[in-house]
Amino acid sequence: MRNGNRWLPVLFWTLISFLTLFPIYWLFVISVKPAVELFSTPSVILTDIYWQNYLDVLGDRTLRGYMVNSLVISTGNAVLCTLLGFMACYALSRFDLPGKESIFFWTITNRMAPPAVFLLPLFLLLTQVYRIGEFSLADTRTGMILVYCTFNLPFAIWTLRPTLDGIPKELDEAAYVDGASAWKVISEVVFPLARPGLAVTLILTWVFAWNEYLLAATLTNFNARTLTTGLSEYVTTTGTEWGIMAAISVFTLIPALIIFSLVQRHIVAGLTFGAVKG
Amino acid sequence: MSEDTKTPKPGFLPIETNWFDRLFISVVIWVALSLFWFRFIEPLGLSIWICCAISAVLAAYIIRRG
Amino acid sequence: MHSKTLGWALLAPTLILLFFFGVVPFIYVLFVSFHQWNPFAVNPDMIFNWAENYRRVVFDAQFLASLGVTIAFVFFAVVSELIIGYALAQAFMRDFPGKAFFRTIHTLPLIMAPIIVGSIWKLMTTPSIGILPNILDDWFGYNLNIGQSALQAFTVTVIMDIWHWTPLVTLSLIAALVSLPPDPFEQAQIDGANKRQIFWHITLPMIRPAIIATVFIRLMDALRTVDEVLMLTGGGPGSATRYVGVHIFKEVFPRTNYGYGSAISVVVLYLTIVACWLLYVSLIAPRNTRKG
Repeated sequence: MRNGNRWLPVLFWTLISFLTLFPIYWLFVISVKPAVELFSTPSVILTDIYWQNYLDVLGDRTLRGYMVNSLVISTGNAVLCTLLGFMACYALSRFDLPGKESIFFWTITNRMAPPAVFLLPLFLLLTQVYRIGEFSLADTRTGMILVYCTFNLPFAIWTLRPTLDGIPKELDEAAYVDGASAWKVISEVVFPLARPGLAVTLILTWVFAWNEYLLAATLTNFNARTLTTGLSEYVTTTGTEWGIMAAISVFTLIPALIIFSLVQRHIVAGLTFGAVKG
Repeated sequence: MSEDTKTPKPGFLPIETNWFDRLFISVVIWVALSLFWFRFIEPLGLSIWICCAISAVLAAYIIRRG
Repeated sequence: MHSKTLGWALLAPTLILLFFFGVVPFIYVLFVSFHQWNPFAVNPDMIFNWAENYRRVVFDAQFLASLGVTIAFVFFAVVSELIIGYALAQAFMRDFPGKAFFRTIHTLPLIMAPIIVGSIWKLMTTPSIGILPNILDDWFGYNLNIGQSALQAFTVTVIMDIWHWTPLVTLSLIAALVSLPPDPFEQAQIDGANKRQIFWHITLPMIRPAIIATVFIRLMDALRTVDEVLMLTGGGPGSATRYVGVHIFKEVFPRTNYGYGSAISVVVLYLTIVACWLLYVSLIAPRNTRKG
């Protein structure tokens, strides 16, 4: 390739990156301006930074509680979904189970379903049906972890299926011939090979759970409310406080950004979907 | 994607299906036909049961021959 | 090779969980949709009323309008994302300085919460504080006010969706393009095929599985879009951006007519499943017939 051509893509991608980054930058700009300055002519350049919005958010006990809830729920859910998804995909890929393609399709259907459809039935089931004596799943972190499985578990199965199908069956057959137990085969042969796919699944399910809003807004009142619902509370009750709204948005954004940047190189490998087959 | 081992057989449908797929197709057609019937045919005075009868016949045909 | 019992045992937790949080709510919503049920009315009991709710749905102008804008939204969003995503994936296929860095930046919007994306675009486009209306007004004299213009609100939601989700399409198409073997391309070049022929006859058929998977996922998500639109426009102005999910959230449940709300939910669910199933089947079918 000629040398002059090398910089053309760079220019092109600088432009694309600008389009990607500018809205995020604008969010930051709004979050570090005092309310009075917002309504003068919007300016892209920051003259001085005003941290009060962030301090207000951090100083708010309720919002701190929401952050902890978000962390616990998304971590618990991601681990659960990845584990169960791995087991299910191993079963789907290695065993000759009757009707397994139908099972696969119907599992995915759970993710297709618009969550708005399930708001009312889930609310009623959680508050009234799924309870043992005093213990009820409504408005608990456990409840939300389980509810989030409805969209994250199908996703985990969807992304892990190609990974497990891609690991040659001959490998575990050879291990079985050598007399290894099923547990040994799964944990020592299949699991290490599936690790990149599992990592990506874990990250993505974590991010989806962290980002979820609709179900959290409807199914929790106080104990298990997450950061995203906190954001909407601020918008509805005090809609004009753009600075606080922007600051909460930034807080919601940061953990996802950090985790994502750490494992970014795995993402492409994990997103191959069905691409390699055929 | 490996095919379902449970009796996929060639029928008049353009794809390979097992009995469950064909049942699913029948239900989809039944619902679509019912909604269509509610909107356009019931106001003319034909009962919805006629639609259900048609769907049942269609479903039987699809499941047997599809 | 080994016992099916183990297979079922591995599958069991998934199936049980999805049964209680996916299938049971589905059956429940189906059950309620055949009843008249308003817990806060004079008679708070559930009254079985056959398919009366469905009879109402098909004449509900608001719901049908919301279905129409949803289809338009999904069509414009998914098609644009596929075209832009493919172009960007191709642009990533050559080497240039800082490639990994640019890819990381490009992937950023993917991990952002829909509701955050909604709030970002709200901050961008709200006339009093947003940068976009100001720039458009100063430079082009164009008046952008998504609180008033239906077309503008619709366009902004589509642009927002493109901004948010194109990276997913790009990433999966990159993965597909990277895994392509070079031989057919070399052969085609020797045979003197031009770029367009190579695209239509070699690249496209070979990356088709990836395109199918991507469209499948994007379609599912675009049909479920609620959070960001709720945040950005709240479904307005009027009902210009009241996509079905927003319609259910804003109209159905606050009115506490649970029976009718459930009927709408069931119809939406039905349409989603049929749309995705048709896509899935129509795209995998030719592969199966070729094999058989």
